[in-house]
Amino acid sequence: MNDDNNVEIEREESVKAGKWLKFRFWLKRFFTNPANIILVVFFVFLAFFIFYPLITLVYDTFAVSSVTETRYGVKMGELTGLWWYRMIASEYNTMYFWKPLGNSMLMSFLASIIAILYGGIVAFFITRTNMKGKSIISMIFVFPYIMPSWTLATFWKNFWQNPDIGSGTGGMVYNLTGLKVPEGMVYGLVPCAIVLGLHYAPFAYILIGGILRNMDANLEEAATILHASRFKIVRRITLPIVLPALMSTFLLVFSSSMSAYAVPQYLGSGRFYVLTTYMKSFLNQGYYGQGYIMGLVMILFGVAILVANQYVTGKRKSFTTVSGKSGQVSYINLGKAKWVVSVILIVLSIFFAVMPLITFALESCCVVAGDYSTLTLQYWISKTPTDAQNGLVGLFFEKQVWRAFGNSLLLSFLCAIIAGSSGVLIGYAVSRRRGTKLAKGVDSLAFLPYLLPSMALGGAFLTMTTIFGIGKSFFILVLVGAIKYLPMASRSGINAMLQLSGEIEEAAVIVGVPWWKRMVRIIFPIQKSTFISGYLLPFTSCMRELSLFVLLVAPSTTLMATLLDEWMLWWPQSANALNLLIIVTVLVINFAVNKLTGASIDKGVGG
Amino acid sequence: MKKVLTYLLAVVLGVACCFTFIGCGKDEDRDITPQINEGQNMTATELLEKAKTESGNFVAYGNTSRITTAMSNFIASDYGKALGLTSSNAMAQKQNDSAIYKLLENEKSTPGGSDNASMVLIQDSASLMLYRNSTNLLANYVPKDMKDKVDENNQLPLAHQFINKLFMYNVKDANNTLKFTNVWELTDTKYKNNIYFKNPNNEQVNKNFLIMLTKEDWSAKLEAAYKKLHNNAAAEDVGSAKAYKNYGYKWVAEFLKNCNFSINSDTTIAQDLSKDTNAGKMGLFVLSKLRDASVKGENLQVSAWDKKAGSDTEFETIEPFAGFMYSIYAQLCTYGPRPYTAMLFVNYLMTEEGFKPWKSLGGYSSNKDVPVYEGSITTPVYFKDTGKQIFTDNNKKQLVETGKNGDKKVYTYIENGELTDKTVTEGDKITVGDKQETLSLKGVTEEVTTVKDSPLSFWNQTLVVEDGNYINTAIADHVDDWINQQISQKS
Repeated sequence: MNDDNNVEIEREESVKAGKWLKFRFWLKRFFTNPANIILVVFFVFLAFFIFYPLITLVYDTFAVSSVTETRYGVKMGELTGLWWYRMIASEYNTMYFWKPLGNSMLMSFLASIIAILYGGIVAFFITRTNMKGKSIISMIFVFPYIMPSWTLATFWKNFWQNPDIGSGTGGMVYNLTGLKVPEGMVYGLVPCAIVLGLHYAPFAYILIGGILRNMDANLEEAATILHASRFKIVRRITLPIVLPALMSTFLLVFSSSMSAYAVPQYLGSGRFYVLTTYMKSFLNQGYYGQGYIMGLVMILFGVAILVANQYVTGKRKSFTTVSGKSGQVSYINLGKAKWVVSVILIVLSIFFAVMPLITFALESCCVVAGDYSTLTLQYWISKTPTDAQNGLVGLFFEKQVWRAFGNSLLLSFLCAIIAGSSGVLIGYAVSRRRGTKLAKGVDSLAFLPYLLPSMALGGAFLTMTTIFGIGKSFFILVLVGAIKYLPMASRSGINAMLQLSGEIEEAAVIVGVPWWKRMVRIIFPIQKSTFISGYLLPFTSCMRELSLFVLLVAPSTTLMATLLDEWMLWWPQSANALNLLIIVTVLVINFAVNKLTGASIDKGVGG
Repeated sequence: MKKVLTYLLAVVLGVACCFTFIGCGKDEDRDITPQINEGQNMTATELLEKAKTESGNFVAYGNTSRITTAMSNFIASDYGKALGLTSSNAMAQKQNDSAIYKLLENEKSTPGGSDNASMVLIQDSASLMLYRNSTNLLANYVPKDMKDKVDENNQLPLAHQFINKLFMYNVKDANNTLKFTNVWELTDTKYKNNIYFKNPNNEQVNKNFLIMLTKEDWSAKLEAAYKKLHNNAAAEDVGSAKAYKNYGYKWVAEFLKNCNFSINSDTTIAQDLSKDTNAGKMGLFVLSKLRDASVKGENLQVSAWDKKAGSDTEFETIEPFAGFMYSIYAQLCTYGPRPYTAMLFVNYLMTEEGFKPWKSLGGYSSNKDVPVYEGSITTPVYFKDTGKQIFTDNNKKQLVETGKNGDKKVYTYIENGELTDKTVTEGDKITVGDKQETLSLKGVTEEVTTVKDSPLSFWNQTLVVEDGNYINTAIADHVDDWINQQISQKS
């Protein structure tokens, strides 16, 4: 009997030992694949830095986390369902929650449609037709995204307003033609959706155009040979190919519009409220529970779209458009219509891209806003305090501006490098391990930071600075910026890698080329244009980000955006000059990257 | 693989939860009351000696942007030089109130940390009162020399300065249709969308002003003003079980209906309202914006500075208030590293030199010895008999509008303060030297000062003042929710 027991024990132990050995071998094999290593590292890193602020956010919606909230008769630190009750079920729920939610969804949906239509159509014409003026349009089409969204909102208002509405001054259209457009054209849902759509149209342009540019013409030519109509080719071949980009664009634009604050704040005129306007109001007053409930709802919407995106792109076997076989691009011949199309697109692009810049430049030189008879360069070049009586000298001689400029440039550069490189790695790993749970997990996690409200993310990281004892250092700014803008870089990286067939690498794998060399010598050069947009987008966004950094900046790490936020309230002329400086800086960087690398945001689309 | 992932995620979530609750852990308590008690009996020189023994950065937060200028001036002063302060170890940062409190709460975890704030300038008496009563984040300090110079009511918490928001209107057409003497006139439908006021959801002091009007004493004053305007008749919709609980609620609701929230900054309100195209519109905003060169001051009239008809020296009294005021308070931060330096800074800010960044029209120190800025604004001059603005023509002769000929205005010349028989019509040609020129008018203005003893002085105006206790109670009773409903019903 004892012998039987011993044999049994021995057998169990040998089975366990066998399982453990098996696991070890599996682990060893697992980590020989660079894609797996990348996925595991990013999974752990992202899970912590996303779930930590998320858990803090959720906790604050059930807790009394500020003294201000104790006004409602609750005690500091205790758990309560009061905030959820006020938002969802109280007599104020329509005002604070349901109506703004409906407004947010409608505004975001319309903005997404406008962005995809406008950006997609322009991308199609540039990449697939023989229209003229491609280089000009490519260069300036991305300007509306580079500018802060409220600059477009300002321009829209200044263009359409009339003395019967709003601030009672006449806009360009009224001054030139006497035409008075209805108030709904200047303030409210429609102008907010249009401005956000225009602001985010470059997303569609970059993402959709990137795919269209690299699409092999053989895919369409085969259908042409079989006498398929142009409409059928677009519907059955082109659209399905660009579907991942369409979904990514919708995802990005809808999420961005849901969390947009500046445009509805500026064009809402105190009548049109969305979730973000009330959220900011609550957070500014210290009602974190109620503010974060709105933030959570925005996150939930984003997650729902993310799941939908994964479902749609997951059904497809492949979106490869760049393979080891030769590819060629053929253009649709527009005939004489190419001139008409070119003129229309150039005029539209210049109007929305250049006119706001000109307006800003002029406003930064006016003593009295809108009065061009008071032009002066003092807000730019005065060495003595300007007559705004704020102690500020001209921008070029104002020390705090150059300190902030240096901080912003360094921060944006570091965030772009970290986010962009991480995006490339994530793109590689997710595409190579596509379909696995780990890849799906990292793909989703990499996008989640975009859905977290910037203010909430900044607040969570503020707490982290205390726990880790790192204070409000530059490091924390870089960390939070890199995480926040990783989604843009990762979308870019994933889209680029999904187009690359595995056979591109196969020859190099067979001859034993190390992984890093394959990345640097083969993969990156092929999709250079799309990868570089993954660096430029975080850089652009970081240069003008405010809510994310406002709690984390120390006096020694003042940024251009925090300076601009302060000046906008008090000294609009100097603020306009500062804003112009930010925009021009980003444009110059874009131009420099173009000259040095031959690639840029606009170059990636065939300009 | 699925199991591995699940375990990995569980570990990460667990770690994240741990850090969340570590962040909620008990903070170290600190008390600087002994230092403050000592400091309140010290002169600036004595404080300086104590401050020299401190270490760490000197950081101040403020919701006024001028705090950065004030800090620069402090660094450059004898005190700053004696303490070895530079822009590297002494910094001021502008933040809104909520951000300031969040930062201070966070700094509790590192008492005396080098980057912690030691001093704040903060507004909104209601929130300040809450934090002072519920936490030990802030401590009050009254400089020894200020006990006799600052009104006792403004010593706890110590008010550094006062800011007033007044009714102002555009007088470009000089037709005086916006001159008013009773705030109930502003509820008339003719003002719909013509009163610029920063959205109370974005400006807590504006919200506090509206909440204060629902208090019984202000409601009683509004009742008296209502009856004065309506021949002693009471409002039918005020009372229990009626639309409005009291006259304060009624005025707030009807005033908000006429407000225009399309401009979100007092500076821009001042700029836009002063444009020629906005004649006949009104605003309620900070007086100090008039000093900005981008504001056409000659187009703006402060309602409280309107002269009584037929008088050159008497000013209108607006029933029952001309606007409202609020304070900016100076407080020490319990968890900052440099309490004595902070006390020295507060001392400095309360002096005339320290108040320099705010020394302009509309800036009032709580120290009565700091003179009110003897600056001036231009204000139109009106003809005493008709109340219309006086103009000068191409020959610099004075004339005033007296009628119309069809669509064109007719002006009559003035001599020795009396109307003459000579008239001229808009668009007419007049003789200038040996040439004929089209009539060109320029409004006559005068400089108005706001010195302390002037009838226009801040201290002589009836303004609504914040009561933190009442505001906190009112918010608990959902008064601000009710105000938000009135605002949202405008859409």
